Amino acid sequence: MKLAYYPGCVARSTGREYEISTRAVSRALGIELEEIDDWNCCGATHVSNELVSTALAARNLVRTDLPVMASCSICYSRLRAAMIHLKDRKVRKKVNEALERKYEGEKEVLHVIEPIGRALRKADEMDQDLKKNKKKNGRKEKDLIVRPLAGLKAAPYYGCLLTRPGGGIDSPENPKVLEDLIRTLGAEPTDFRLKMKCCCGPIFMPEEEAAAETLIRILRNARASGADFVVALCPLCHLMLDANQPLLEKKFGEEINLPILYVTQMAGLALGLGPEELGMEMNSVSTRQVLEKLEKIEGKKAEEEGAKVC
Amino acid sequence: MRIGVYVCHCGLNIAGVLEPDSLTEFAKTLPGVEVARDLQFTCSDTGQETIKEDIKEHKLESIVVAACSPRLHEPTFRRVVSEAGMNPFMLEMANIREQCSWVHMDEPPQAQEKAKDLIRMAVAKATLLSPLTGETMPVSREVLVIGGGVAGVQASLDLADCGLHVYLVERRPTIGGYMALLTDVFPTNDCSICVLAPKMTDVYNHPLITLVTYAEILNIEGSVGRFTVSGVKKARFVDEKLCKGCLNECAGVCPMEVPDDYEFGLGKRKAIFMPIPQAVPLVACIDPESCIGCGLCAEACPVDAVKYDQRQEDFRFDVGAIIVATGWQSFDPARKEEYGYGRYRDVISALQVERLLNAAGPTGGEVVRPSTGQVAKSVAFLQCVGSRDESVGNPYCSRVCCMYALKNAQLIKEKYPETEVSIHYIDLRAGGEGYEEFYIRAQRLGINFIRGRVSEVEEVDGTLKVNYEDTLLGDFRSRPYDLVVLSAGLEANRDADVVGNLLGLSKRPDGFFEIAHPKMRPVEAHIDGVFIAGCASGPKEIQVSIAQGEAAASKAMGLLVRGELALDPVVAVVDAEKCIGCRLCVDTCPGKAISVNGIALVDEAACKGCGTCAAACPVDAIDMTLFSDEQILSQIRAATAVKGQYPFIVGFLCNWCSYAGADLAGTSRIQYPTNMRAIRVMCAGRVDPAFVLEALKGGADGVLISGCRLGECHYNKGNYQAYQRVQVLKGVLEKVGINPGRVKIIWCAASEGEILAKEVRKFAGELKEMGPVGTELAPPGSPEPSGVGY
Repeated sequence: MKLAYYPGCVARSTGREYEISTRAVSRALGIELEEIDDWNCCGATHVSNELVSTALAARNLVRTDLPVMASCSICYSRLRAAMIHLKDRKVRKKVNEALERKYEGEKEVLHVIEPIGRALRKADEMDQDLKKNKKKNGRKEKDLIVRPLAGLKAAPYYGCLLTRPGGGIDSPENPKVLEDLIRTLGAEPTDFRLKMKCCCGPIFMPEEEAAAETLIRILRNARASGADFVVALCPLCHLMLDANQPLLEKKFGEEINLPILYVTQMAGLALGLGPEELGMEMNSVSTRQVLEKLEKIEGKKAEEEGAKVC
Repeated sequence: MRIGVYVCHCGLNIAGVLEPDSLTEFAKTLPGVEVARDLQFTCSDTGQETIKEDIKEHKLESIVVAACSPRLHEPTFRRVVSEAGMNPFMLEMANIREQCSWVHMDEPPQAQEKAKDLIRMAVAKATLLSPLTGETMPVSREVLVIGGGVAGVQASLDLADCGLHVYLVERRPTIGGYMALLTDVFPTNDCSICVLAPKMTDVYNHPLITLVTYAEILNIEGSVGRFTVSGVKKARFVDEKLCKGCLNECAGVCPMEVPDDYEFGLGKRKAIFMPIPQAVPLVACIDPESCIGCGLCAEACPVDAVKYDQRQEDFRFDVGAIIVATGWQSFDPARKEEYGYGRYRDVISALQVERLLNAAGPTGGEVVRPSTGQVAKSVAFLQCVGSRDESVGNPYCSRVCCMYALKNAQLIKEKYPETEVSIHYIDLRAGGEGYEEFYIRAQRLGINFIRGRVSEVEEVDGTLKVNYEDTLLGDFRSRPYDLVVLSAGLEANRDADVVGNLLGLSKRPDGFFEIAHPKMRPVEAHIDGVFIAGCASGPKEIQVSIAQGEAAASKAMGLLVRGELALDPVVAVVDAEKCIGCRLCVDTCPGKAISVNGIALVDEAACKGCGTCAAACPVDAIDMTLFSDEQILSQIRAATAVKGQYPFIVGFLCNWCSYAGADLAGTSRIQYPTNMRAIRVMCAGRVDPAFVLEALKGGADGVLISGCRLGECHYNKGNYQAYQRVQVLKGVLEKVGINPGRVKIIWCAASEGEILAKEVRKFAGELKEMGPVGTELAPPGSPEPSGVGY
């Protein structure tokens, strides 16, 4: 699988660990990423001017013939929204006036969770095939999940833009795609009722009070659902839930200490990548507790198996 | 053909502008005219007598009356000529009052020329008239009612009480429909089943009603007066004649429990079950999906009614009319994902709360939270779930939800005065007798009314929270509730699609069956002999459904009570020699009157005479009896024979809207230019492109076609077909170098005389700009073609 990679601005700033883990996971899954040459803003900074925003996104889209993958939900949503706007012939004409390479038609735009899911499904199908045909040795050549996250509980946090505009990868109100991935990786998704609640990124500056109230609700709910960590799909969500925890702890006088993992970091662990390959030291809330729990579970399992052998 | 022409003075109504005596002299010069007279009042007794005497004395074969609109006095003069022994269809009228003297009062000379043309056109058509006889056809006096909800039940009872035999076909094991499952009903709050059950029993016991339950209709053939219906009655694996309806014996021993769809998933039933305690027929039914065939019920039945080897039975009967009362289905509230139905146990649908409130329901009438089984201490009703909501494709109001929510809120508040009950609404619609009072009653009971569509329901830590904008307070709020009831809207019953397709019923954009006229013909379908009652044609409350059942019954009775049907002789006829069996006519016919078996065959009973098939036929194999190609072409040739005006317009006006609109312009004395010569057709869809070409060839500078407003066609879609043909024709004209603007199609309702006048004025102006027809074909520099006569 070869994809055009659209990093987006956050990949080079607060979301560096997202980019590092995205690249690492892609490599592990055999997905070849070709970064879009001379990419620009996805249009999110100009949403107040729909035409400019659409044109910015279109300029990125026309720079490749491959399907485009973004790991940021905002970029992903902007690219998709732009394609919807560009269905309007008048908009398309106007945008094309400004573009060197013309926007000719729709492209496949993917969020990083999609190729990960696809690659794992494909591997699974091949496994099933192997099992069915009972080949010699029956070795699971394609088994990619070398370190299943069994025993870990993950709160799937979607944020607002992965599923919007509607008609995309899943239902905008009650999506399931992240839960499915968590299960595939061997972990257990928790019943996280506020998984669609706004991360308050867009209102944090003007309405810090309201944002803090909402964030603490989300984090409490995630904790109460029994999660060892929260999975984020968007760097803004991640920033809000992760970097704000010290501030929230002080403000509400309670300990939170809930690691927020990027979806790619979680997937990377299951694929057997080391924490350093996934940039896990860069998260604000220490991710060590996740790794420690995983190691403990694995140790116990090994012990049990060892006991059996004896 | 020996023709008599009568030019009416109509007092000064015509004679004040036109000169009837010189028109009479003119008429005498026309070929075939034997007698021409001007009469003071042609419709008066003296006038009528004169015509009758002339018919006898001069052995006249057809009559032209140049007077008022045929929409006014055509029936009068048809009667007059038939009294004189002539076929009533040997009459043609020239409308020189509404469409001439009254609308051209300021231009008598031009009006006089137009009147001459109108008379010449009428005489030309009269020459080609042929006698028509309206035949009668014996019809079956039996009626099929599809659907045993309250509308179908009422229709069946009314028909049977009047002596017509009824077949009532219901697809479920019992009749009664949704009404049988409701608790008390508004605005009286009487028990639903208590008022319905007697009617259901009456159906069962009526000697003239054949009740076929648990059945599917698979085929319907034929047309008004002689439909043949066939289908199957599914096996219920219980002998209807033997079963005593005791139920306890068989269901008591059945080991299989499954969710009860009659309780909307709240309760359970056995594999052998009675849908409701008041089921009609009171016969158990085995659901083969859940039955494991253990044989316990057969053993337990005291009368050996359980028959595992029962098979489905075919049925087939002939009926004269069909009443479609197929009802509705609930909007699936899970589609509004933000409300959490299907995810949160304490979010339930309106139908579920009906069952909770019902003393015979799964909780014995207690309104409990499904998650805990405890009585709910606070209940929210969320209105317009799946109604007035473009995001789910339902822009329409479901009409009953406000009232049933008010009703259920009242019932809860009366039963549990401590329970807090709120209704979240966008608008409260309580239009109906006693409804507003019902609303006030709810307010007095202390029910909260909160205006604003709810944005989401979330369940956090076991509590349901409803988030909404209170548009009266202008504030975003959040409120916890024990129980949230979604007032799901009514949708068209998808199970009825089969019947709709078999009958050829059309659907509105909202999915419900379309009635013949949205206001004036509330229970008639577009197909003759088919009537629609109840929610099949849109959401309705019980009382309206009953009224519609009664109305449909009376319509069916009116149709069949004499045992014969008078057929309108204005129908399509197929020339078997020319027909190539291409089926184009089948697709165009709004009445499903044409079938093709090698060649096209017109069912004269079903044909409504619009003529759109004749216009569509690519080989001219279809013609109309009274508006034949030859007759209309002769009118066009007569109109363009002299061309006494520039620009010269030939108009085609549909009988139901535009011709009536033109008449209204006359009665309203709206003045417009005299340039148009109008030809009456039954439908704009009748206008064959050949007519337009003939008019242009004859020298008309433009052709105006006017039909009913889109969506209001008397024949459903004739105006769309006309529009499509005009668009194609415009393309052809453009190719041969004729300005496509010379053909114009407009929409004009019978109430829009002003619009017709305006359009004629505008079109005349446009044509003046274009120059005489053919200008565009002349090579540059050559002298302009000098049309004849101007």
